[in-house]
Amino acid sequence: MRRKQLLSMFMLVLGVSLLVAAMTVGAASSATQKAGKTGAAKGGTLKLNESSEDFDYVDPQIAYRTDDWSMLNVTAMPLVGFPEKSGVAGTQLYPIGATSFPTVSKDGKTYTFKIRPGMKFSDGSPVTAAAYQRAIERVLSPKMGSPVGVNIHLQDEIVGGAAFLSGKSAHISGVSAKGQVLTVHLTSPNATFVTQMGMQWFTATKPNTPYSSQGLNTFPSAGPYYISSRDPGRSTVLKRNPYYKGSRPANPDEIVFTPNVDPDQSLLQVKAGQADLDIVGNVPTSSADLAKTYGVNKGRFWVGASSCVEYMSMNTSRPPFNNLALRKAANWAIDRPAQVRLLGAFGGQRTDQLLVPGIPGYKPYNVYALKGADVAKAKQVGGSAIASAATINFVHTTSAVSTNRAQIAEYNLKQAGFHVTDVPTPATTFYQVVGAKDTTYNFTSNGGWCADYFDPYDYLNVLFDGRTIQANNNVFYTYFNNATWNSQIDKAALLSGAARASAYAKLDQELMVKYAPVVPYVVVTEHFLTAARVHNWIYSTYFGDPYYNALTVG
Amino acid sequence: MTQFLIRRLFWAVFLFFVATIITYLIFWVIPADPAALAAGKAASPADILRVRHFLHLDRPIWEQYYYFVQNLVVHRSLGMSFVNRESVDSIIGKDAPVTASLVFGGAVFWLSLSIPVGILSALRPRSILDRITMTFVLIGISAHPVWIGLILSFLFGYKLHLTPIAGYCNFIPGSPGAQCEGPVQWAYHMILPWITFMILFAALYVRLVRANVMETMSEDYVRTARAKGASERRVMVHHVLRNSMLPVVTILGMDLGLALGGAIFTETIFNLPGLGREVISAYNADDLPVITGVVVFSTICVIIFNLIVDVTYGFLDPRIRPS
Repeated sequence: MRRKQLLSMFMLVLGVSLLVAAMTVGAASSATQKAGKTGAAKGGTLKLNESSEDFDYVDPQIAYRTDDWSMLNVTAMPLVGFPEKSGVAGTQLYPIGATSFPTVSKDGKTYTFKIRPGMKFSDGSPVTAAAYQRAIERVLSPKMGSPVGVNIHLQDEIVGGAAFLSGKSAHISGVSAKGQVLTVHLTSPNATFVTQMGMQWFTATKPNTPYSSQGLNTFPSAGPYYISSRDPGRSTVLKRNPYYKGSRPANPDEIVFTPNVDPDQSLLQVKAGQADLDIVGNVPTSSADLAKTYGVNKGRFWVGASSCVEYMSMNTSRPPFNNLALRKAANWAIDRPAQVRLLGAFGGQRTDQLLVPGIPGYKPYNVYALKGADVAKAKQVGGSAIASAATINFVHTTSAVSTNRAQIAEYNLKQAGFHVTDVPTPATTFYQVVGAKDTTYNFTSNGGWCADYFDPYDYLNVLFDGRTIQANNNVFYTYFNNATWNSQIDKAALLSGAARASAYAKLDQELMVKYAPVVPYVVVTEHFLTAARVHNWIYSTYFGDPYYNALTVG
Repeated sequence: MTQFLIRRLFWAVFLFFVATIITYLIFWVIPADPAALAAGKAASPADILRVRHFLHLDRPIWEQYYYFVQNLVVHRSLGMSFVNRESVDSIIGKDAPVTASLVFGGAVFWLSLSIPVGILSALRPRSILDRITMTFVLIGISAHPVWIGLILSFLFGYKLHLTPIAGYCNFIPGSPGAQCEGPVQWAYHMILPWITFMILFAALYVRLVRANVMETMSEDYVRTARAKGASERRVMVHHVLRNSMLPVVTILGMDLGLALGGAIFTETIFNLPGLGREVISAYNADDLPVITGVVVFSTICVIIFNLIVDVTYGFLDPRIRPS
């Protein structure tokens, strides 16, 4: 009995001690916080939350999710990249790891990059052309099982890529490295190749970096930072690369990412200064209040356009939307402002085109109703075909947002005279349903695209080249396949500079005027709250995030 | 006793197989395709096939299950996550101590609160204390842990700056990349999760203790003890409490076993990297190996705690000791 009493006493003392300790530390911690200084400064630890998510990988040759990209960007030393500048200036590629843009052979198939001398990895070893060769090989190696290279069809672009991917050769025959010179032979001319090489997947990678299907958590990097530790599901810590001598900013001493934070708790943490920023953004329902309290882009609450455009897709391969007039009628019928309102305050900018601001070739135009549904115009454009049209199988996922979106769009289509059947589909099967070539869906309100690489090719060619339709897992659900259009996008893809931008601007407009396979409705904007001590906000439209290396704390 | 233990162990193994087979079957029925998810957008059918083969998803389900059991028994491995290819053993190994610290810490709090309050309440039924206690019980049972957690964070973390709003620190220092660690920081970060986690259990246990004490106090042997002139303290400690705590021990064992499978709401709200939060992430990503790993772990916990309860029950009450 005495032992039980002793145990009870011990537990009581332990409980009281923990409570006292907790309260004491709490007081000390908040006192330190209040003593914090304001104003930009180099140094300190930047504390970033990632609400409800974590990086899938941090190995640059496997990391696929877009949140990974902006983090890896600060560790990366790609051949070319985007400068840490706001607005349009930040969307212009410039050579980083290369001394200049590559020289291209007359047939457009051979690219030669000269690697900047004097660059070093975070372990002090030099960066040579072999580092970029290794990156390309790790992206395509069968030992890595990486989704990233095959998703841009790199194995078909580079000579020897397919043989390497299938394990038939030890190296990619079309990639060679000699000292500071990297040469890449392509199977056919490809004007987007340089832009693709700007992706963090192709960052300088130490030539002896092993192949690893699990991905590496720490490895030497040549960018301003390197990953000093990574504990999946708990934290990722970046530290300044002591050997980095380039011009890119490296302001915080350390950048710490904490994943899987509850979004509401994350917002409270940022408001209270216990975290500096949630890289996923603030909870949409809080945006209106935050704007009222802090103003927009005035120091703490930030709003910026992303590279993501959302649209509704029509299946052009079967009735009723194999009829152009009905596709145009749907474009007039959909209430775009109502759809944008579903995203909450500062959720996005309504649009009726595919290309997004900042991307080469973007030229604003207005073909359909941006200010609301124009039912009369929809009826006029659709004419008698609407009444005789087959019933629309309207497919959407079953989340609350998706259901709300579908309900509004279905109402709009019915107002214009269409017959609509609602087909709610769980997210687990949705992409199998709409991504199959022989699908029976007609219209879906779930759809959108964010740039893999900041080039109009990634929107207009990738999404609307009917020759790439496959049996399953298609990413564009319009099944639009038009020979004239295909020929036009092929020609535009070969152009460069101003001619390329001009050609894509024309195509962007032509897509909606002549073919209208989709109903674009919003360019998504990102919104973030920063802690009071955070300064030097530079936002990247491409990443949809700020440049973490440029932020200052203190 | 040996026969009893052998019988319990046999049932434990049987339960383990049933639980894992059901998990596999449920996952097989869900029409999701982890290979397509892992292959990424725009992957061709050939790419998806390659990933499917890479993840052994191209095998029949019985074969996948056979490999799973073989891996578990022969290699003591729960496999690799589909999402980040991390070892599930390592994931469970990292997450389980976090959940354990929440569950056991919470248990200390709820037992420290519910046992004395339940006893006092039983000794003075319908008094002011009893009515206040029953009001707390009602609130504790009705209020959702998410709501309680958010309110506590807002009040003590955001408004009063007394505690962190969310986050976790390791008890044992030395983890790479840890921003805070050590027993004091650990306790400081766990204070709100413990309170949130314990409220429901405290409410339930107060009722349980109160009811048991009241029932035991009306037993013949208590009246006999009083008639023999035993002091009130002796009656309470030796006759009432000892007997009324038996159901509490049983329920505690079951609750601890279940909770170790993951305190989903509390872990999510306070960003505790435990099994509950892990299983939610895995569910969202169709990550079967991680889900199965957590199921296996929680099954083992339930089995072990039930076994402990069964064995200790016999020691506590000689009348039901297995022969």
